[in-house]
Amino acid sequence: MNKHIRKVLFYLLIVLISSIVIIPMTYLVNISFSSQLEVNDFPKPLLPHLGHDIKVEWDEGHSWYVVSRKSFSGEYKELNYLSDFDRVETYFRTYLNVVRTSEQYEADFLVARETGVPVFVHYNKTIFINYTKFFSIFDGAGQALVNSITAALLTIVLSMSIGGCVGYALARTSIKGKNAIGLGVLIVRMFPAISIAVPMAVLLIRFGMYDSMLGLAVIYSIPNIGLTAWITKSIFLSVDKEYEEASLVFGATKAQTFRKITLPLVFPAFAASSMFAFITAWNDTAISLLLTNENQTLALLLYKNMGGSASLHYATSGAIMLIIPALIFTFLTKDYINRMWG
Amino acid sequence: MSNPTKKKSIFKTPYLFLVPAIFFYLFFWFIPVLMSFIDSITAIGGGISLINFRNMFADPLFLQAFRNTAIFAFISLILQFVVALLLALLINRNFRGAKIFLFIMLIPMAIPPSAVGILWNTGLVQSGWINSILESTGIHHLLQTMGIVDGTIIWKQATNLQAVFLIILVDSWSVLPSVMIIILAGLQNFNKEFSEAALVFGANKFQSVKDIVIPIIKPTLISALILRLIAGLQVWLISVMIFGFRNVPFLLERVVFFTDRLRDDPSAYKIAVSYSMFVVAFVGIVALLFVKLTSRKDWRAASE
Amino acid sequence: MAYLKLENLTKIFGKNGLAVDNFNLEIEKEEFVCFLGPSGCGKSTTLRMIAGLESVTSGEILLDGVSIIKDEPKDRHISMIFQSYAVWPHMSVYENVAYALRLRKMSKAEIDATVKEAASITQITEYLNRYPNKLSGGQRQRVAVARAIAIKPKLFLMDEPLSNLDAKLRVAMRTDLKRIHQDLHTTSIFVTHDQSEALSLADRIVVMNKGVIEQVGTPNEIYHDSETMFVAKFIGSPPSNFFKVLVSKSDNNVTVKHPAFAYIVKGPIADTLSKKYLNKEVILSVRPENFVVDPNGIIEVKCLIVEPQGSHLVINVNIGNEEAKVVTNILDIKTKDTIKLNFNQNIAFFDAETEHRIR
Repeated sequence: MNKHIRKVLFYLLIVLISSIVIIPMTYLVNISFSSQLEVNDFPKPLLPHLGHDIKVEWDEGHSWYVVSRKSFSGEYKELNYLSDFDRVETYFRTYLNVVRTSEQYEADFLVARETGVPVFVHYNKTIFINYTKFFSIFDGAGQALVNSITAALLTIVLSMSIGGCVGYALARTSIKGKNAIGLGVLIVRMFPAISIAVPMAVLLIRFGMYDSMLGLAVIYSIPNIGLTAWITKSIFLSVDKEYEEASLVFGATKAQTFRKITLPLVFPAFAASSMFAFITAWNDTAISLLLTNENQTLALLLYKNMGGSASLHYATSGAIMLIIPALIFTFLTKDYINRMWG
Repeated sequence: MSNPTKKKSIFKTPYLFLVPAIFFYLFFWFIPVLMSFIDSITAIGGGISLINFRNMFADPLFLQAFRNTAIFAFISLILQFVVALLLALLINRNFRGAKIFLFIMLIPMAIPPSAVGILWNTGLVQSGWINSILESTGIHHLLQTMGIVDGTIIWKQATNLQAVFLIILVDSWSVLPSVMIIILAGLQNFNKEFSEAALVFGANKFQSVKDIVIPIIKPTLISALILRLIAGLQVWLISVMIFGFRNVPFLLERVVFFTDRLRDDPSAYKIAVSYSMFVVAFVGIVALLFVKLTSRKDWRAASE
Repeated sequence: MAYLKLENLTKIFGKNGLAVDNFNLEIEKEEFVCFLGPSGCGKSTTLRMIAGLESVTSGEILLDGVSIIKDEPKDRHISMIFQSYAVWPHMSVYENVAYALRLRKMSKAEIDATVKEAASITQITEYLNRYPNKLSGGQRQRVAVARAIAIKPKLFLMDEPLSNLDAKLRVAMRTDLKRIHQDLHTTSIFVTHDQSEALSLADRIVVMNKGVIEQVGTPNEIYHDSETMFVAKFIGSPPSNFFKVLVSKSDNNVTVKHPAFAYIVKGPIADTLSKKYLNKEVILSVRPENFVVDPNGIIEVKCLIVEPQGSHLVINVNIGNEEAKVVTNILDIKTKDTIKLNFNQNIAFFDAETEHRIR
């Protein structure tokens, strides 16, 4: 019996630790589904509300519909007073994320006016509406998305080509100072781009790369080239030289050997390290803050719009869209990361 | 490992491979670094002087920034090291679902800074989800009756030291996975028989970790720690996203603050660049000390 | 009274991984027992269960009359030598041996005396201050042995300790291990997949296959009196030859018939064959050295490949359509020679379905 209790306690611990990660994420997702109104709800629910419980009464004295919504505590709280169905339609769409036509509302609520009895309905939210609204509410969001992708792809090209060369050279030849790479990576890290941002900006301006995705890619590549060189060095080292030598013995040229033997063997790890480059570019906020003006990346756009609490739920949906590529990458490479660091 | 006879035939070409990288770093890294350094020791009017550094020290927030940075870096380091080590040891047990647990633990690492900022902003506002959790689980009520809190907790009004600790926790949430994964890699390359032998010969689980596992994976631990130390001393973004500029100052936060100002006030740049150089010097000294401290009596060095 | 008693020991990994199935064994004090079998047969798992490094799904382990199944490895009075030696690289040889003693809170003087004693038995005294990465594989192995004997355990467990050594060193270490066992008299369990190692070291051998014990016996019994076909196949180098033969009776003779020969069976085994297996197929097991080169032999073969081994020849021949190996002390046979063979009386018969020995 002791063994089973220990097992249960163990898994309880695992669940507890996992929840430290999962619960904030759940709230984040929830808020991204929230309508304008729910942003101010307190306490915030852990599980997303997929719909609203609505009560509509007709107020004869004021000649309007009193719209109430069921809150967390179970009570109906009055939301708004709307005199016609067009106003109802606008209100529900803008503040409650419910999308229906005026005619449908008329069909539901007219009876409250006619009979004097309150009408209770449950409407489902169009939950992904925030995500589409994101692009219209935040100016230039669409372009920012394109910019992010551009910068990321350019970073991959730069890092992999330059870094890959270095890694290959270190692995396959007898250049001295192989350990200097580790030291070099460390030294570069001691000078984060932020602290040398101004001269970097000046440099970029001189090359005509300021406020451009190419300029960003160049800066992103600085730490990435070192990392890529280190990763590709260990990858190439792990490809047994004898495979390449066998290929040469059997008549292939060096180029053919590289293409047909070496490349396929190193490709998976290559792919993983290029994704690292992608993520650096995709996630960055600080560097694009200082080195761009009008051409923003998506991450930067989000950063700039973080303040307004009124639009927090839209920002949140933007944040989720930002997170997804990185999440996919992490999932695909989680087994790999060990090998690369090892 | 490398074939000595091959050396001659490709003698010229290997360095060719390094040329693009060398040029790249020269232009886009070394020159800005040099320029920053020169700017820091050049006064506005011209001529070499240390006046910029004097102005930096005169910044009323300098002392606070320095102290916050130091406290943050060292306490984060210790906290993250212990927790990451424990998590890595846990995952290394390879229980059912360990792979999923690993993925979950890696999620915070995948979240970009702006999203992190949004996450914690939505959490730390008065009606945010942190207070929601405290409210709906009854913990808030408990804290109130115990007299620890008084009314709704307004996180963003935390005083300086409290704020620093808050930032430590928030930052650790995002950063722990990256430390954990390095330690995990070291553990997975670790020959299990070493610790099994310890268990057979009299050690309990704690002693086997302390006496056997940690000393053997020391290089991995050191590389994880030094990366973390350097990054910790460079903290700024998370503080700005939650508390805004100036409220909870850090050394690099000062750099960004002043750099942002340079369009309006050219002298701000000089202060920024002085802070930059100061941070570099600070990081360099700390890193050196750290390496010196951790490499004494290393059996690997001794036997080489 | 058995010193180590293993009762119905079973280990199941996950849902379907039956690694050890109802293992029952009694080991006497001071005995040197080998667990022998191919990879995956469960020998290491069983050993690790005894050590406490692997949990037990069901069953019982009693050492010196006391159940140890709930004890941590360190409380079981055992010592272990691992396949990779597991000599801790960050400690000197002295510290490696002393570690366990320090944990037992022995006095400095006692520790020193014990370490030096163990070192002299394993002949590593001159390396005491060296670090393991400066030692060869064989030297590290001896450090592992010294560490194991220093704590004077009730039971020595050895998990393929010689597998990582080169052939010559392996044979030398084998002798050393046997000598240490004879001097120290510690009850020992030695796991290996090398049957010649088991034959030379063990008082008794436990042959395992797929989690089950095939046979327990002295080296002689295992070799000459194999209980199952698996044992007959596994033991002996070169391995035993097997022929499918048909049991028939003509007049009063029990004959087993093979496409290439017909052999008249003598002795009590003939009775069993004629009573239970008449007109059925059985397996005839002939060890290479059970062939006799005899000009009046019943089988005529051509020597395909002759491998001289110094003291004897190993000859590859075809009997019927099957390949067989013959071992003989006659040294002047060459490839392409034709010779005649007979069997000596050490041949054995096995049931074709159960693969068990027919007696």
